[in-house]
Amino acid sequence: MIMEKNFVIAGFGGQGVLLAGEVLANAFMLANKYVTWYPCYGAEMRGGTVNCEIVVNDSEDVSAVNKKEADFVIALNQASVDRFISKIKKGGWLIANSSLAKEIRTRADINYLFAPVTKLAENLGNIKMTNILALGLAAKVSKLVSVETLAEALDNVIPAHRKHLLPLNLKALKIGYEYDLLPA
Amino acid sequence: MECLTKTNKKVLMKGNYAIANAAVMAGCECYFGYPITPQSEIGEFMSGKMQELNRAYVSAESELAAINMVIGACSTGAKAMTSSSSCAVALMQEAISYASADELPVVLVSVMRGGPGLGNIYPSQGDYNQATIGGGDGDYQNIVLAPSTVQECIDLTYKAFYLAHKYRNPTILLADGLLGQMMEPVEFGEYPYPEIDNSGWALTGAKGRHGRVIRSYAPLAEDQCVFLNKLFGKYKQIEENETDWEEINTEDADIVVVSFGSPSRNVKSAMKICRKEGLKVGILRPITLWPFPSKRIYELTQSVKKFLVVEVNMGQMLRDVKLAVNGAAPVEFFNRPVGNPPEVDDIVNKIKEIIKE
Repeated sequence: MIMEKNFVIAGFGGQGVLLAGEVLANAFMLANKYVTWYPCYGAEMRGGTVNCEIVVNDSEDVSAVNKKEADFVIALNQASVDRFISKIKKGGWLIANSSLAKEIRTRADINYLFAPVTKLAENLGNIKMTNILALGLAAKVSKLVSVETLAEALDNVIPAHRKHLLPLNLKALKIGYEYDLLPA
Repeated sequence: MECLTKTNKKVLMKGNYAIANAAVMAGCECYFGYPITPQSEIGEFMSGKMQELNRAYVSAESELAAINMVIGACSTGAKAMTSSSSCAVALMQEAISYASADELPVVLVSVMRGGPGLGNIYPSQGDYNQATIGGGDGDYQNIVLAPSTVQECIDLTYKAFYLAHKYRNPTILLADGLLGQMMEPVEFGEYPYPEIDNSGWALTGAKGRHGRVIRSYAPLAEDQCVFLNKLFGKYKQIEENETDWEEINTEDADIVVVSFGSPSRNVKSAMKICRKEGLKVGILRPITLWPFPSKRIYELTQSVKKFLVVEVNMGQMLRDVKLAVNGAAPVEFFNRPVGNPPEVDDIVNKIKEIIKE
């Protein structure tokens, strides 16, 4: 049986949505999966909305694109929750940033993980870690990629002149991954 | 973005960067271009890499200038290219006709976006006709290659340089905005083709030999007749040698779906779903849009009941499929005018609708 799963990552321009997708896609590549990343690109600017989709499958074959449904939606702001909640597959997951989105569960047939991602990143000392923190959450929830592979992918993606940010990114990844899935 | 000369490591790369890096690895000596979304990363990559390698990069003042600079470089036998998108490739049509007449190995990467006119920057296949038929004057024909994955963007960029030089003919790599922006794991093998000897025609200075002229002007009608017959003899040879396509599950197919480029990915998925449900569906994906696999499509009419063409335009390859089928079977059409490819479920539903009829 061929496994094929897809992720949508969405948020404000500047939140690192496309980069998070690139790290995730790199991780799948390192795990020897067939993976496709594509952005919804438009005439957007900083502060506008942005999203990308990552399709991963086990086979050697190319993936379809422009999918009707998503297994996992990572929404970093309210606009992204509103736009993509209807796209989530029955039994799929909404991973949402409760710092910037309301904890409202409008569908009964999907799973939710709300976490104050922006706040957690601020606590870590750099709000720019929001995207990688969210990836940690997604890794835990999806069980499709290990935190070690994501760490390796981060090293792949972060360019030489930004390598000093790698340790903080790895910390963000770990905080996301270890965030309690069922808070009291 | 680093240039990858190492060949056996998988890297995750955007289509545009993959095309640019492949061009560098194919030995492209000169790049001339003018930025336009959704292919600007090609010029961006070249602007750094070509200088680093001591090759030529010119940010031209317009697309018109860029393609004419390619003509100049190619006339010296150099491997030269430009890249652009829809409304800007439109500006290059006159020069492409000249390059065909001058028999120059021009490589043009066309990453399609929405048209007509300024249109928009979303993916499209609206320039099938622009590439395969063209808007220049006179009788001429470009070689047109259509990738559907990022890996194929690399493989067909290599091939574009090879075919352009082998046949001294303008060659277009026809991608779309989705492929240009998409990232997939890829590998860069060594440039797999032999180098073509151009010492018999290139303008390299006439030291020790008679001077040469490359021009498309033939004042006597008879001369132009001889030239055109020779040119079309070459086109016939290209048709015989280079026509390429991918074919899956056509042996027992009742319906064959014909699509090219990025939508063919969704067509492939749709076919798999149909097969699981016992529907006899096959696919044919032209890789060379010219030469078009007309002969093979006509052969299939012996056993296939219906054809379905899926495109992201208003029906351009549709005409070539109809010409190939030549009335021997019905040819249906399913499209999205512009944007991302039709969704898999919608293609499946269309196939089922056609089967019922």
